[in-house]
Amino acid sequence: MHYVMIGNGVAGITAALKIRERDRHARISVIGGESDYFFSRTALMYAFMDRMNPRDLEPYERKSYDAQRIERIRGWAAGLDANRKIVRLDDGREIAYDRLLLAGGSVPNRAPWAGLDTVRDGVVQFVSLQNLADCERLTPSTRQAVVAGGGLIGVELVECLVHHGVEVDFLVRDSWYWPVALNREEGAIVSDHIRHCGVRLHLEQEVDRVTAGADGRVSSVRTNKGVEFPCQLLGTCIGVRPAIDWLKSGAPGLALGRGIKVADDFRASLPDVWAAGDCAEFTRPDGGSLLEQIWYSAKRQGESAARAMLGDTAAYRPPLFYNSAKFFEIEYTTVGEVTRAPAGATTFFHRVPGKDASIRIVENEGAVVGVNLLGSRWNHKWFEKWIAERRSMAHVVANLHLAQFDVEFGRLALESVRAAFQSAERRAA
Amino acid sequence: MIKSGSAHSLLHDVKNRGISAWLLAAILTGFYLVLYFTEWLAVPARMIGLESKWTLYGLLYTLAVTAGGVHVIRKYRHNRYQVIRTCVVIFVQSVFAFSIPQMLKFLHQPEYYFSYFWPLKMDYLTPSYIFSLPLPYILYSFLGSALLVPLLGALFGKRWYCSWICGCGGLANTFGEPWRHLSDKSNASWRIERVTVHAVLGASLLLTAMLFISWGAGKTNPAIVQWTAGFQSFYGLMVSSMLAGVVGVGLYPLGGTRVWCRFFCPMAALLGLVQKVGRYRIAVKENMCISCGMCSKYCEMGIDVRSYAQANESFTRASCVGCGLCAEVCPRGVLRLENVRTQAPQQAALVQIEGIRADRRLV
Ligand SMILES: Cc1cc2nc3c(=O)[nH]c(=O)nc-3n(C[C@H](O)[C@H](O)[C@H](O)COP(=O)(O)OP(=O)(O)OC[C@H]3O[C@@H](n4cnc5c(N)ncnc54)[C@H](O)[C@@H]3O)c2cc1C
Ligand code: SF4
Repeated sequence: MHYVMIGNGVAGITAALKIRERDRHARISVIGGESDYFFSRTALMYAFMDRMNPRDLEPYERKSYDAQRIERIRGWAAGLDANRKIVRLDDGREIAYDRLLLAGGSVPNRAPWAGLDTVRDGVVQFVSLQNLADCERLTPSTRQAVVAGGGLIGVELVECLVHHGVEVDFLVRDSWYWPVALNREEGAIVSDHIRHCGVRLHLEQEVDRVTAGADGRVSSVRTNKGVEFPCQLLGTCIGVRPAIDWLKSGAPGLALGRGIKVADDFRASLPDVWAAGDCAEFTRPDGGSLLEQIWYSAKRQGESAARAMLGDTAAYRPPLFYNSAKFFEIEYTTVGEVTRAPAGATTFFHRVPGKDASIRIVENEGAVVGVNLLGSRWNHKWFEKWIAERRSMAHVVANLHLAQFDVEFGRLALESVRAAFQSAERRAA
Repeated sequence: MIKSGSAHSLLHDVKNRGISAWLLAAILTGFYLVLYFTEWLAVPARMIGLESKWTLYGLLYTLAVTAGGVHVIRKYRHNRYQVIRTCVVIFVQSVFAFSIPQMLKFLHQPEYYFSYFWPLKMDYLTPSYIFSLPLPYILYSFLGSALLVPLLGALFGKRWYCSWICGCGGLANTFGEPWRHLSDKSNASWRIERVTVHAVLGASLLLTAMLFISWGAGKTNPAIVQWTAGFQSFYGLMVSSMLAGVVGVGLYPLGGTRVWCRFFCPMAALLGLVQKVGRYRIAVKENMCISCGMCSKYCEMGIDVRSYAQANESFTRASCVGCGLCAEVCPRGVLRLENVRTQAPQQAALVQIEGIRADRRLV
């Protein structure tokens, strides 16, 4: 049995390792176009800032792949023939499979801005190793940069550029920072911190037109408010989409939507083909589509898809949402539904005096449904447990200390949180 | 990518085994060779009114720990574990490892270092030496090595000594900060480390046993005395001078800061065995690791922390000195140093890749 994975990201490699764990004899191959070895995309920023060497980004020792008998094939898949069970690479090589996993991840969204077609250099993204190489090539000749897009990748690129002494104008379309995940108050804490770190953050502004200089390199950006920002580098961090372009014409019969359409056992519409990670699109029970595009989900899906390919029949059910991030120095943890909590939910929010730290707990019908935590460390497992047990907000506040995960001697003092909660309770009563 | 500017290039070069790092390693190594094998340093020592080259060395060492410590405190000022720990390191070095011994000498007392214990300091269980001291020193030596060291090790892990008290660890965590990431993280070096560090521990135990035998039965058995003396001077040259000094500190800019602690220190080996059965561990938050590798990169003991974190496995490694830097640099707050009463296994993890870590299981 020959298992082939297209994509050597976390989904593809996790699947390969899981298959090897269960099947000592199968032949396993992983095709990757971006790099010879699996690397951690989440650490791109640390390579950019010289806190790590590119090699340090690889989560497993190189010889592990030989030890696990995982064949690595460097190249870009360009076609898939499900009748002959063959993957064709763009250099003409053909690879036969018995079972195939599509785990090609995502690519950056294309920007719709006027003038981009006249720009030959200086516009970068921050998703792949090749993007990193572009950034590194351009940064030494960059004094001012504009970064567009207020998500997690944008803020990482901004941090890297600031580290290299570049003046950054950071354009965020929304009226506060990252409204899909943060409420106004947390958005303000993060915005203040980003500005404090030397970034010119502009809310409610987006790119309207891009201008190139005589040499073809980007020279300025005009926003929807008519403001002109001179720059030698423009970072476009306006989200990612599944990397399925090659499948549109190269894989006849494969059902595609925003991503590769799969059933809840990761099966795509062609026989013996599965998909997992950033590129897989599920259908929700209510008919809507579901794309999970974070590290944790890619790893989880890679493992579950491997089980499915091995013949297990359990259906994939995404667990309660959680995520973590870091905005310069501020750490962030979230569990459950916060900004998308049902109408009628009640919220407790407290900012710890004198610190860039806050706690938000959202309760609906007497049960906590989500938390947003900034500026100190928490073990999300406790919140998952409380949400699953439908605990009240009062219970969670009383037990917060259990979930603390700060360093020794450095625990966040909870007195102000509990006092604020009690006075909020009194006001409500 | 290196920050532009010649100052940054030089900094990168010296921190990443560039030419300047080799040069600095040569200077440091040369310094230790001169210190151990010549009397040249006695001259500058006398010039500034110090009685011997060793006092001068103690002074320089204390200055390096203090200056490096101030830098470390500033760098990690948001992390109270690091701030408190580094303050203690500076305090212990300047008071227990420098001022008190000098004062004792001045008062015509034995020059005793209360922050050192057997088997790091072999003298303190060498009968011919220790029994020549007044009773309180004898008691401190024996109770310290036999009771205090293992007891605190069981309660708090070896960190209480290796990264709070010990001078070798103190220098590594202060002056050595720029080179902590150079430790080798491969499985192969882990295998080597386990052999070498336990071999030195074995040698130190053997030597101590021989010292007691020759002290007790030497009169009737001059051959034993002779062998023991030979072994003692070999151990002193190889372990205390070459490995702890020349290799241990001289190679900071090439091999990282804890080469001595990791590969050779008998005290670390002993405390490591205690640590394995004690309360200390690094707790891993379940399914929160993004495999970025910062923790492994900045582990001075060469532990591949990421391999545990991404497998959702809270762990205790014998070599871990509990410096806490993995928890500090982790951008997702995945790791936490803690002392737990029972080492309860974590809840079954959602994602656990066992296959790839098969050889880790050999330990
Ligand atoms: C800068 C950055 C920071 C991030 N930080 C976080 C974070 O902190 N936390 C978090 O949860 N998530 C983070 N993410 C998201 C996370 O990295 C992704 O969700 C995750 O990597 C998806 O894994 P995957 O295996 O599905 O795809 P990928 O990691 O994208 O891997 C897919 C691989 O397949 C290759 N490939 C694609 N098509 C082909 C083809 N036709 N032939 C051959 N090879 C192909 C790609 O080049 C790629 O190497 C971050 C993403 C970026 C870009
Ligand atoms: S630093 Fe944290 S997130 Fe990164 S690999 Fe280590 S434990 Fe995982």
